Amino acid sequence: MNCDEFEILGLDLNQSGADSEQRAAALDHLRHCSHCAGLVESWEEARAELFLLGDATREAQAPLRVEMRLRQEFRAQRRPLVFYRRAGLVAAWGLAVVILVAGAWNWENWHHQQPKARVINQVATNGAQQVTAPNEVLVADSDTGAFIPLPGTIPIESGDASVMQVRMQRGALAALGLPVDQEHASDWIRVDLLVAEDGVPQAVRLHQATTQEGPSQ
Amino acid sequence: MQISTDDRDDVLLRRAARGDEDAFTCLYKRHQAALYRYALRMTGSVWSAEEIVQEVFMTLIREPRKYNSERGAVGAFLFGITRNRVLKHLERRPREFSIEDVGLNTPYYREPVDPVTPAVWAEQRERVAQIRDAVLSLPEEFREAVVLCELEELSYEEAARLSSCPIGTIRSRLHRGRALLLAKLELLRQTPRRATANG
Repeated sequence: MNCDEFEILGLDLNQSGADSEQRAAALDHLRHCSHCAGLVESWEEARAELFLLGDATREAQAPLRVEMRLRQEFRAQRRPLVFYRRAGLVAAWGLAVVILVAGAWNWENWHHQQPKARVINQVATNGAQQVTAPNEVLVADSDTGAFIPLPGTIPIESGDASVMQVRMQRGALAALGLPVDQEHASDWIRVDLLVAEDGVPQAVRLHQATTQEGPSQ
Repeated sequence: MQISTDDRDDVLLRRAARGDEDAFTCLYKRHQAALYRYALRMTGSVWSAEEIVQEVFMTLIREPRKYNSERGAVGAFLFGITRNRVLKHLERRPREFSIEDVGLNTPYYREPVDPVTPAVWAEQRERVAQIRDAVLSLPEEFREAVVLCELEELSYEEAARLSSCPIGTIRSRLHRGRALLLAKLELLRQTPRRATANG
C-alpha cells in the first residue's frame, strides 16, 4: 500500500469498509511510513475536536416557536378541508333523508290510490252498472280506463248491462252528447259502450290510445 | 384520536394529510431534531437552521402527497427536502453570515463537557470554534460528507444513501474533506483566535 491508498483507507479503517487484507496492509504501511504516521496523529487530534463540535450540537433542537408556527399553519391549511368534509357529510345525510321522505310519500300515495283504482277497474271489466261519479272519472280516465257517464243518463244501480266494443269516428261521440274537438272529428277511435238492458248506451270508455286525443271534457 | 409511539411515519403522515394535528405534531417531534442538527452543522447558523426546518415541515403540510412510500421512508424523504433547502440556502447566501454570527453563545451550542478550570473551558471553546469554522469553510460536498460521517457518525452506506450518491463518491469526498480540514485547522491554529474575532 502506498501513501495515497493509505490516506483513503487508513484514516478511517473502521468506517471505510476495508477488508482484513487491506487493514493489515494499512497497518503495515503505517509502521514504516513516518509521513502517514504523522497524518494519522494530526487526524486523530482533529477528530477529537470534531467530536467536541459534534458534542456541542448533539442535543440541538428546533426552538419551540417553530412547532407553534407549524401547528398554526397546519390548522389554517386544514380548516377548510375539515369544513368541506363536514359540509359534504351533512349534505349527504340531508340528501338521504330527502330521498327517504320522498320515497315514503310516494309509497303512501300509491298505497292510497290502489284500492280506488282496483274498484273502478273491477266495475268496468265486470260490466257492472256502478258508474263512477264525474269527478272520479277525470281521475280514472287516463289511469284506469273507467266509464264516463253520458249526459242525461241516470247512473244504474244494477242489472244486466253489457259492454260493447265499437270502432267509430270521434265525431260520432257528439251524438251521444259528448263535446268533440272538430279538428279530430274524423279520427277513427275505439270505444267501449256500456249498454243498458234496453239497449241505450249509459256510459262510454275510451281506450288508452284514444284517450289522449279523446273528446275534450 | 390517540397517537401510539409505535405508529409508523407513513401512517402518521396519512393521518396528518386528513387533518389530524396530533399526528402531524408527533411526526414533527420525531424528526425535527435530526433535521435541525444537520441544517445547523451545514449552515452554521441557528437562524438558517430554524428557517430550513420550518420550510421542510411547511412543505409537508402543503403537499403531503408528495411523499411516495415506494421511494423510501418518511425520514429519508424529509432529509431529502432538508438537504435541498440547505444547498439552496448555501447557494443563495454563501458568505452571508460571518463567523461571529454563528456564535457559540446561542443556546443550541452546548458548552464543552466537564470543564476542569476556566482556562481549560476557554481552550476547549476556542478549539470548538476553530473546528467549526474549518468545517464551515469546506466546499459544500466535502462539508456534507464530513458532517454526515464525522459529526452525525453515519456509516458510509447511510451517508451515500442520504446524499443520493455512490459510496465511492462519499469515500472520495470524505478523503478530500479531511485533507482540507486538516490544512485549514493548521492555518487557523497559526492565527490567534482573538485576532480573527477582532478583524
